[in-house]
Amino acid sequence: MISVRDLTKTYGSTRALDGLSFDARPGVVTGFLGANGAGKSTALRILLALHHADSGEALIDGRRYDQIDRPLHTVGAVLDAGAAHPGRTAFHHLACLARSNRIDRSRVTTVLSQTGLADVAHKRVGGFSLGMRQRLGLAAALLGDPSVLVLDEPVNGLDAAGIRWIRSTLRALAAEGRTVLLSSHLMSEAALTVDHVLIIGEGRLLAETSVAALPRSLEDFYLTMTGEVAA
Amino acid sequence: MSTDVMAAEWLKLRTVRSTSAFLVAAAAATLLGMTLLFLLIQAFDAATTAEQANFETADPTVVIMPFVMFFIGAIGALSITGSPDPGLLAVPHRRLLLASKAAVSGAIGLLAGGAFALLSFIGARLLLGDRPPPLNPWPEWTDALPTIGCTALVVAVTSVVGVGLGAVLRSTAATLLTLGGLILVAPTLAHFLPTVWHLRLATVLLPNLTPQITGADHPYLLSRPGAVVVLAGYMIVALVAGALALGRRDVS
Repeated sequence: MISVRDLTKTYGSTRALDGLSFDARPGVVTGFLGANGAGKSTALRILLALHHADSGEALIDGRRYDQIDRPLHTVGAVLDAGAAHPGRTAFHHLACLARSNRIDRSRVTTVLSQTGLADVAHKRVGGFSLGMRQRLGLAAALLGDPSVLVLDEPVNGLDAAGIRWIRSTLRALAAEGRTVLLSSHLMSEAALTVDHVLIIGEGRLLAETSVAALPRSLEDFYLTMTGEVAA
Repeated sequence: MSTDVMAAEWLKLRTVRSTSAFLVAAAAATLLGMTLLFLLIQAFDAATTAEQANFETADPTVVIMPFVMFFIGAIGALSITGSPDPGLLAVPHRRLLLASKAAVSGAIGLLAGGAFALLSFIGARLLLGDRPPPLNPWPEWTDALPTIGCTALVVAVTSVVGVGLGAVLRSTAATLLTLGGLILVAPTLAHFLPTVWHLRLATVLLPNLTPQITGADHPYLLSRPGAVVVLAGYMIVALVAGALALGRRDVS
């Protein structure tokens, strides 16, 4: 369960988050939707203790991320496809993460197979395509078999097969009772993946609803909600 | 959790090519130092007895170790600047992450510094044979032990300084430039200062702390305890500055 309350964050004179509050519940894929610069990535980075909030709190199962011991067992995150050291192999990248959180090394092989990277496990990440690096990011997120998954634009760089694969994977993970929070600015893709949407604009929550309850398409709903902000 | 984090940091350093590249560079510096020593001994043998009395001591660590310090310190620096993600998603406790990087880099510095100092000593002993002081700095092999031990300690502290600088500066280029300036450039620039200021500055530079700690012949100003305090000060300042910088920063 992810709970965000009254989150504010300012960079210089730019207010990135302005009292943002939302919940993401277990068992559903929650879409965190907004235009570029809406504050999605900032909120996710605060949730993962990479950025400091000016005020408010972001909790995962009732705790701040930096209060969780061996957090990869609880939370898996995909933030930046370029986060892995380019000179390290995919296997060693995951082995380092596994070692830091006392995760059995057999999980490295498991998630590499699960994400379709078994054949390139011992190749250096610097030679990977963007799609392969996205898959490696997802492999890292799945490493600790976490109950909460946080993904920032995970389909960027993936081909059609990869997008379909990630969609079915995330839906299967949510069906197992996990909390899945997925940010995206691609409405058509989000409509096929998420069960519940949070629409964010100018650092605030503009709307939230179940996709099943929408009277029209997610894209229309999104444009209506964000258009209200622009007006 | 700290042992797991340290084991992971050790694995990280072991699985990138830059670590072995810097170790090879340190070995090359040691070999170059041995070559210079060989040439110096040839000149000594060709000199008259009066000229031989004026030869400076042939302690190879004076020439070699600043380069070894830089290359081993660079391993510590890259442990934090070498990757876009320093590892905070896996270890969000920032002080623990920094302390683990510093501990692993310091241990590598201690082992590698000791190993290269020992290699330099063995090479020098073989080349110098039974030639007398002042050319031969260690008439007995036991005379070199304090120098080897202190050199290892100074290289270990240099590695920790590399980690702290990396945490503050964030950029690999800026960190290596600063580390190189501190270890390789500042001792040279100090020579251009008036003697009093040269001595004051040179006294507190990392490469010059080894002879002050061992109590060997040197022109510097610190007592042995004073030199130990300055060495500890480098480590404390680097770790505190690194912890403050990493703790306050928003990480991409």
